[in-house]
Amino acid sequence: MKTENDKPIARQKRRSASQWAVAWRRFRRNKAGVAGLIIVLAVVFLGLFGDFFAPYPAFPNPHYLDPLYKGDVRKPPSATYPLGTDGIGSDVYSDILHGTKYALYVGVVVTIITMAIAITVGAIAGYFGGWVDNVLMRFTEVFLVFPSLLFILIFVRVFTLGAGVGTYFNFLGISVPVGLTIVVLVLAIFNWPGDARMIRGEFLRVRELEFVEAEKALGAGNRRIIFRHILPNILSSIIVVASLTIAYAILLEAAVSFLGFGDANTMTWGQILENNFNYMQTAWWAELFPGLAILITVFGFNLLGDGLSDALNPRLRD
Amino acid sequence: MKENYMSETLLKIQDLRTYFFTEAGIVKAVDGVSFDIKKGETLGLVGESGSGKTVASLSVLRIVPKPGKTIEGTIEFKGENLLKNTEKEMQSIRGKEIAIIFQDPSSSLNPVYTVETQLRDVLSAHQKITKEEARKKIIELMNLVGIPEAETRMHEYPHQFSGGMKQRVAIARALALQPTLLFADEPTTALDVTIQAQVLDLLEDLKKKMGMSLVMITHDMGIIAKMTTRVVVMYAGNVCEIARTLDLYERPRHPYTASLLAAVPRLDRKKTLKIIPGNIPNLIEPPSGCRFHPRCEYATKKCEEEPPKLEEVEPDHFVACYEWKNLTLSGETGKSE
Amino acid sequence: MLESNRAKGGRAGLPNRLRGFLGSSMFRYIIRRLLYMIPVAIGISIIAFITMYAAGDPVALATAGKPNLTEAVRKALTAYYGLDKPIPVQYLNWLANILQLNFGKSLYGGQPVNHIIGPRIWPTIELQIVSLLIAFGISIPIAVHSARKPYSKEDVTVTSLSLFGVSMPTFWFGLILIIVFSYMLGWLPSAGAAGNPYLWWGNSTLDTIAHLILPVTVLVYVSLAQNIRLIRANMLEQLRSDYVLAARASGISERKVVYRYALRNAITPAVTFLGIALGGMIAGAPMTEYVFGWPGLGKQYVQSTLNLDFPTIMGITMIITVMTLLANLIMDILYVYIDPRVRIR
Repeated sequence: MKTENDKPIARQKRRSASQWAVAWRRFRRNKAGVAGLIIVLAVVFLGLFGDFFAPYPAFPNPHYLDPLYKGDVRKPPSATYPLGTDGIGSDVYSDILHGTKYALYVGVVVTIITMAIAITVGAIAGYFGGWVDNVLMRFTEVFLVFPSLLFILIFVRVFTLGAGVGTYFNFLGISVPVGLTIVVLVLAIFNWPGDARMIRGEFLRVRELEFVEAEKALGAGNRRIIFRHILPNILSSIIVVASLTIAYAILLEAAVSFLGFGDANTMTWGQILENNFNYMQTAWWAELFPGLAILITVFGFNLLGDGLSDALNPRLRD
Repeated sequence: MKENYMSETLLKIQDLRTYFFTEAGIVKAVDGVSFDIKKGETLGLVGESGSGKTVASLSVLRIVPKPGKTIEGTIEFKGENLLKNTEKEMQSIRGKEIAIIFQDPSSSLNPVYTVETQLRDVLSAHQKITKEEARKKIIELMNLVGIPEAETRMHEYPHQFSGGMKQRVAIARALALQPTLLFADEPTTALDVTIQAQVLDLLEDLKKKMGMSLVMITHDMGIIAKMTTRVVVMYAGNVCEIARTLDLYERPRHPYTASLLAAVPRLDRKKTLKIIPGNIPNLIEPPSGCRFHPRCEYATKKCEEEPPKLEEVEPDHFVACYEWKNLTLSGETGKSE
Repeated sequence: MLESNRAKGGRAGLPNRLRGFLGSSMFRYIIRRLLYMIPVAIGISIIAFITMYAAGDPVALATAGKPNLTEAVRKALTAYYGLDKPIPVQYLNWLANILQLNFGKSLYGGQPVNHIIGPRIWPTIELQIVSLLIAFGISIPIAVHSARKPYSKEDVTVTSLSLFGVSMPTFWFGLILIIVFSYMLGWLPSAGAAGNPYLWWGNSTLDTIAHLILPVTVLVYVSLAQNIRLIRANMLEQLRSDYVLAARASGISERKVVYRYALRNAITPAVTFLGIALGGMIAGAPMTEYVFGWPGLGKQYVQSTLNLDFPTIMGITMIITVMTLLANLIMDILYVYIDPRVRIR
């Protein structure tokens, strides 16, 4: 009988063996990751459409304080106000819905900026090595040592003084709050070094793999190697880090706003918490629910990040 | 290499099954393996990676890592069935009666403790021993395995030793309590070629000195030829053939064994390297019947249906193949004439 | 003739051992690191200094709420604080003063900054150290236990709670604790470090403890979450390694294998993390201290930054920076002792 060249491993139906298909299947099996994905999708949905089904409008709109005018200040959760009313008389439920988009804005934009800078710097340092690498790594090391929260606070305070608080700028037809954007930029400035180091590490790792040598031997230029060969291989790490960065950025913005450094006119969840800090004893639900919203959102992104990490970088058993 | 092949059995493995219960499925790493280890012999355990030889030895010591579990079989040793022992009972056997050395000494030695500490850990695990007594014993051991300047070097860390020296330390650790049975799992694969011979010689030497049985687990037919008196050939979790080494080389009875022998490159004779076509089978869904049948030239329908059992072809020579009667296999060509 | 340091020093007493230490490469390493810290600290101070100036004229900002002040008064204030000199000169003055441990005068009331910062250093350190010790003390056993039975019910609970902990806004957790334990149950004080308005639980030691409980819980929980994830992951890796298998094969008891072999190796990378965690804790103090009204550097920092009180901000920044750098240095030294593979050149 002739020996077969194709194994008993081959089964009846051909399943796609592409890296992404395999990862997706693994991801599907990871219940936590899937739960995270669902949460994130829900949050995104609310971010995009929350404004429409909030019973009361968002901050600058005078009807924002309608509950106050009805005499329903600091009322606990009830049928009319599912999450109660807050210290100054706005509906907590509506506030949270309106705040969702800000949370996403912060998370996504910080991540995009951070990733852009980190990948560039990390790639240059990791790929070219030598003194370039040294200089860049010393530089980022300083950021590691820094007490970054302190500096974030100073920077935010200083830069929001100059900017017109409560103003907006127009970006592709959407009006974006300036104050919040400054916070976003400062967060990004202090976040990228950490990620740059990680990416540099990844670059170093992949650079040493043999296929890169092979490509070089075939005459591929630097740019080609970086973009076509190395980057795709570390894409999975980048995705994972991105997801976790979103989580981290949301938390940090909440902290900054809570301490009073945020844009007082932009009702992010952190800002709501700040506003109601003094009413903690009488209207504790106003402190509970926005924080819960942060918790659930961040939790979702963390689950997602972990799930992706597991799916894209399977740990080898035995 | 004259051994009395009628000598007593030290360890008897029967119908051993060790499976790994993973997310991807149940990996049947050792699926119905039986063989004996005799007192004072050097037994070869040979097979490709994935054949189950390592898992089999780990099963004897019952240290198969999770998610692995030995679910069936008996392992008789000094009158006990090891598989029925409690953990405490096994602990007193491990290192003391049965020991094992691994392939890569860089990873099998703990990097954060000195050699002295690690050797003393083994000694004190089985007996009450003072630091001073341990110290003396350790120097003895290190001298035994040929590590110079034992007194100073015992205070050093593994990473301060060369590859060959590290493996000697590992050997010292395994032999600290003079076990009756030593498994050596690819002990030289991670070492430089020049060092390999030294370590193998050391093992042979020690075996004679201490009168123990040695199981050489390897995929290298050269080592088998040099060191063993009897060989067990494994493939994909099953035993294919068991024979005295000379018999195996002169007249292999299993097509897999013949292919293994034929795949060894030789300088003294011009011949085309015979390759065994195909790949190691998937152990989660292994081939039906005889696991080698998809790669075997001589496979028949029966081979596909029922896994063959070990039959005695001649005294002390067993094979698990339906076709052995019809084949005259040569170790040179890997084929039947 | 080669003699070990021990042979030289022996029982001859301190001088020899001290000499031995002073000549050792460890000592040189420490000196090198300290020297390296200096430019970093200076660099950070320069950045902070310049950033403050980007805010605008300090006097104008500090007196923003008082339009009645005449120009003359403003000028006098400016001169008083030395703000009329060019910036680099101001910086050097400041630096010179700092090195003599004179942190200048607050823009927000004129007190010497030393008096503001002084009493607040210890409360912050106290909070940090207690939290750190408890956090590490608890996280190790939990992480080890989790790693030994991965994916078991206990492990999954622990992992989920950890993930939860990491996803929570720290200050919010503090708020919830205050709401539940102070306002609703009245078991614990809601703010401050001591007595307020009366001594809790009888005497002053118990009072301190009572006040520590909630803020420490917050700091510990978050740190716990991070530590457990890290140590558990490391333990899982180590438990799968060859030397653990070999140790088991030598008959060493499972307990010893887990704690002496696997854990020892799992902890080592955690030490570097400890350094960063410590730095993070020190820097993260603002949040917890603010929520609990803890009279430490963190809370003061928040206030001062909001008020744009230059000297105080600079003072606190420098202290925290130095603390962080020292913590890192200690961690690095510890690491050399723990991992024999790392040796200083």
